[in-house]
Amino acid sequence: MTEKQANRLFDLTNVVLITLAVIVCIAPFIHIIAISLSSSRAIMSGEVTLLPIEVTWEAYKRVFTDASMLRSLGFTMYLTVITTILSMIMTILAAYPLAKSSLRWKSLIMFFIVITMFFSGGMIPEYLLVRDLGLINTTWSLVLPNLISPFFLIILITFFKGIPDSLEEAADVDGSSHFRTLFSIVLPLSAPVMATLSLFYAVNRWNGFQDTLMYITNPNLYPLQLKLYQIVSNAQASDLLRSEGVGMFEIMPEGLKAASVIFATVPILLVYPWLQRYFVNGTMVGAVKG
Amino acid sequence: MRASIYYARYWRLYAMLVLPVLYFVIFKYGPMYGVQIAFKDFNFFQGIHGSEWIGLEAFREVFNNQEFYKTLRNTLMLNGLDLVISFPAPIILAIMLYELNINWFKRISQTILYIPHFISWVIIGGIVMQVFGTQSGMINNVLNGLGLDSIPFLTDKNSWLATYLATGVWQSAGWGTILYLAALTGINRELFEAAEIDGANRFRRIWHVSIPGIRMTIVTLLIIQLGNMISIGFERPYVIGNLAVRDFSDVLSTFVYRIGIESGQYTIATVVGLFQAVIGLIFLLAANTIAKKLNGEGII
Amino acid sequence: MRFSFGLLMKFGLLRHLISLILGFIAENKFIVSKRCQQAYCDYPQRLMPTGDDTNTGECNAMEKQKSKIKSYGKLLIPMTLSMSLLLSACSGSGSPSEASQPEGASGGSGERVTLKLEVFDRGNAPSGMTISNNYLTNYVQDNFGTPNNIDMEFYPVPRSEETAKLNILMASANDVPDIVFTYDSGTFYRYASQGGLTEVGELLDEYGPNLKAFLGEDALAYGQIDGEQLAIPGRRLVLGKYASYVRQDWLDKLGLPVPTTTEQLYDTLVAFKEQDPGETGGRVIPLGMSVAPAQLDSLLWSFVEPISDEERITRTQKLGSSDYPVLLPGYKEGLRFLNKLYHEGLISKDFALDEDKKLLWQDVQNGLVGAYSEDAGELLFEYNGTYKNLQANSPGAVMTPIDPYVNAEGLSAKPGYAPNAMFIMIPKSSKRAVEAIKYLDWMASEDHLFFMQNGVEGENYTLVDGIPVANADASQDIKDRLYNYGDMAIIVNGKYMGDDEKNAEAYIRQVPEVYHDMMRTSVEISDTNKSAPIIMPVPIEAESRYGSALRAKLNEIIVKLTMSSPDTFDTTYDSLMNEYMAGGGQAILDERTKVYEDMMK
Repeated sequence: MTEKQANRLFDLTNVVLITLAVIVCIAPFIHIIAISLSSSRAIMSGEVTLLPIEVTWEAYKRVFTDASMLRSLGFTMYLTVITTILSMIMTILAAYPLAKSSLRWKSLIMFFIVITMFFSGGMIPEYLLVRDLGLINTTWSLVLPNLISPFFLIILITFFKGIPDSLEEAADVDGSSHFRTLFSIVLPLSAPVMATLSLFYAVNRWNGFQDTLMYITNPNLYPLQLKLYQIVSNAQASDLLRSEGVGMFEIMPEGLKAASVIFATVPILLVYPWLQRYFVNGTMVGAVKG
Repeated sequence: MRASIYYARYWRLYAMLVLPVLYFVIFKYGPMYGVQIAFKDFNFFQGIHGSEWIGLEAFREVFNNQEFYKTLRNTLMLNGLDLVISFPAPIILAIMLYELNINWFKRISQTILYIPHFISWVIIGGIVMQVFGTQSGMINNVLNGLGLDSIPFLTDKNSWLATYLATGVWQSAGWGTILYLAALTGINRELFEAAEIDGANRFRRIWHVSIPGIRMTIVTLLIIQLGNMISIGFERPYVIGNLAVRDFSDVLSTFVYRIGIESGQYTIATVVGLFQAVIGLIFLLAANTIAKKLNGEGII
Repeated sequence: MRFSFGLLMKFGLLRHLISLILGFIAENKFIVSKRCQQAYCDYPQRLMPTGDDTNTGECNAMEKQKSKIKSYGKLLIPMTLSMSLLLSACSGSGSPSEASQPEGASGGSGERVTLKLEVFDRGNAPSGMTISNNYLTNYVQDNFGTPNNIDMEFYPVPRSEETAKLNILMASANDVPDIVFTYDSGTFYRYASQGGLTEVGELLDEYGPNLKAFLGEDALAYGQIDGEQLAIPGRRLVLGKYASYVRQDWLDKLGLPVPTTTEQLYDTLVAFKEQDPGETGGRVIPLGMSVAPAQLDSLLWSFVEPISDEERITRTQKLGSSDYPVLLPGYKEGLRFLNKLYHEGLISKDFALDEDKKLLWQDVQNGLVGAYSEDAGELLFEYNGTYKNLQANSPGAVMTPIDPYVNAEGLSAKPGYAPNAMFIMIPKSSKRAVEAIKYLDWMASEDHLFFMQNGVEGENYTLVDGIPVANADASQDIKDRLYNYGDMAIIVNGKYMGDDEKNAEAYIRQVPEVYHDMMRTSVEISDTNKSAPIIMPVPIEAESRYGSALRAKLNEIIVKLTMSSPDTFDTTYDSLMNEYMAGGGQAILDERTKVYEDMMK
């Protein structure tokens, strides 16, 4: 077998394997879409797999005409953008100095940060803190308490460390300040990891709802995932509905649930394809040590 | 370098750290007085300060609880298997994606592979039941159609482990590739070209260029994963698990949920949390030390 | 809560640190007006059951909402270094009732006060309404709040996180609503034993005569601990739980009688399995089963042998909110019966996975299930839709309600509900206990409860034989008015019509008319030989300590014994029961025995 043939075999196998993985990954999503478009009889009889049965757009009509859903979507987008920007700024501010070998007390500061990955005060003191800061029922209660993820911070430090010191030293010698180095050298070189971490922060915020359960009671500030969680958990508690005597009024039909899931998921799914341009190979030709 | 000269030159680095450190002090260390609940008989109405000290009594209760040891064992077992199976999966997948030459296919497959991360566990649980059920699951329907016996994917302990791991890989591998792809993007293209000129085949190129290029990322994630060996998310074992396999699927997080949330025993829940924190920190520091020895660099 | 700088400053310890970060707060940036739908506001000011002029109601609260100004804060965050960021943030505002300013105090006297009420949020508010601002909250404000000079503030608590959230509120003292509630008796006992609840006995006498009369001694007893009335239990109207169902068309096809005993049922199941009258191609599931109590209880309770009261009281285990006969003689044989059913292929191999009954419903609808037990009439309700779908999927399918599980005495013994619903509590830190009782008393008086449950005559319902029947063709807006009446009318569980007979009839008429007879039979079956949960004079501490762990353990025991090989059934039983007893079962038994002995002294 020539090398060329071997290469083609490798490529072929690779494409086939990835195609298989793609099918396995997209099938459940298609299933959810199919459910959102099917009649409730077909759904409840378990007939729907990958194609909608007795197609109806009713569920989407209801989702898109529900003012509170649209408002939630708007609020969630706003919240996600604010959180991502602030989190990234803070994470960069922390990561840049901590990636410098010249920083004294570095291990101590890292230890101080790592501790918070493991120890926490628990729900009650955290609630009291947020309350005493006057943040209950504000956007800030959903932004500030998880502003920096130590995990993402450590990742960013790792990437910053990978940037050759020689580049930065050159800048230092030029007399440029640390800020100039950060903006003109470090950040442009780190575009892929910046994009990645922004995505991580955005997705975490988009998908997170546990804090909203504690800090938000104003329905105008309900993020989408909280609504989604309630819709899905109501179905889990159908037994409760009965014994609590509230089952008589309408509970969410399955199709509407699925449509809500799609409604709440697709916007954040679209972020990655948009970010992919930062992953173009070779943006950092010759810049980063191997 | 003398301190005064050093700080005159580097004070900006410390200035940058002021806000982040403040954040950690206020929002992370601020509430940390809550850990004293572990040593108190917590009463909701007396609050944390007003509750009575009970010393190590709650620790004794936890360490005498058989369920605690069972759930601890299961937590370590499931995390250990995840470390072997689910940890390398995104690395392999990322390298496969990186090796793809067809650009549009690469973009589309990346986007699709990370979709499972966005489907909540509750919904995954329903789908898993439909696919892997013994009575009417899709796979067993096919097996029965071929005249084969059903496989109890979910109700037999060992098959369940496989299902649990497979769902974990399915849910997280695609998402996990993003970070490795970011790292791969940073590798100098010249290294690949040089390898090609040397006549290295694809596997050798991967082994000698790609993997070393993302080594630090792998090590960092591995250290953090080791630090998390004793903590486990609630949802995955809870949703994928079931009563027939509770011997394996009952873990520390479900244990804490039962006693902490359902029975309102915050003292016991805090004790378990404290235990997990101490062990986790020890694991992480140990892993960090080893990494430093082997690699020259850790995370601390 | 408004984002207030002053409050921020109160937090002394961190004051300096915070002030570094948060610069100043601006306000009143946006004016948000809220939609005021017609149907959303037009309830009558005072209810007139016969009235033609039900549309003349005002919409005070909504008018206020329209002009309500939301304050938006603007934060300046100076980054200590060379950059700064200007951000604008939505600081939101707390409750809708903030908008209601004191106005010509029509009823009450003195200072206008705020009464804070918990309300379950199930995330199903219809478009245009919110959980804390809707038709019913406005009705409460205008008919109880405003006349008494009280602002009603509804505090939503997510249903699924109820306990966690309540715990935090309780621990934070000054945020806690004046009226909280839970269905979980363990939570109630915990709050009571930690001394956090107001004793309401005297308050009830003074301010709640209607409420007391409405609830009755039976229900009130569930809120008493050691003679103190620490909770006000709501009243439950429908006390029957379960009925069983069999495919009549299958019986007819095979020429079998309707099973009336456990043995007959077993024979029927075997016939279903062997002869497959539904032509399912071997996919038949003769007995629908899950791990939910609704499927297990009827069967297991019928195996319990006749016993003395002492044994019943001491050996029953209350795990969570329900009694389990796990230590009673005969229970083991019930499990053995399940084991037999499983190994003969008479129940689904996947029953252990089915905690939310989703698979069960699916199988019933697909015409695979021959018989099953459930909450009485569940399959008939519109929201469930099982019967309708079954008949669409397999034309000619007919279900008959049956009561086949009989015990040694020939009685179809089964559990029923206790006559109480949720535990309504007033935290000790509340300064509005009197107003809280007044509110509950208001709900129990005149026809307020009737209105909250049924809405406006002619729009929401029509009276048939004195029973309100919901207008099926009412517009969505009108239907939406009452979307969470079950969670608003907290003093009762079920629709209250005045007497037991009418209550039952109203319950039956909640299913579509064609099913009324079947529903009636189902309810009768659920009432036959039912036993109410045991009420202990004091809470059993071991139950609140070990209850939730033991309930999980018990479910595991049921599943494992059902699936274990029949040869090893006894040894498996012994080892699992040892674990159960060691995990708290023994402690509960000991404590119950002691309480019983004290009671008998």
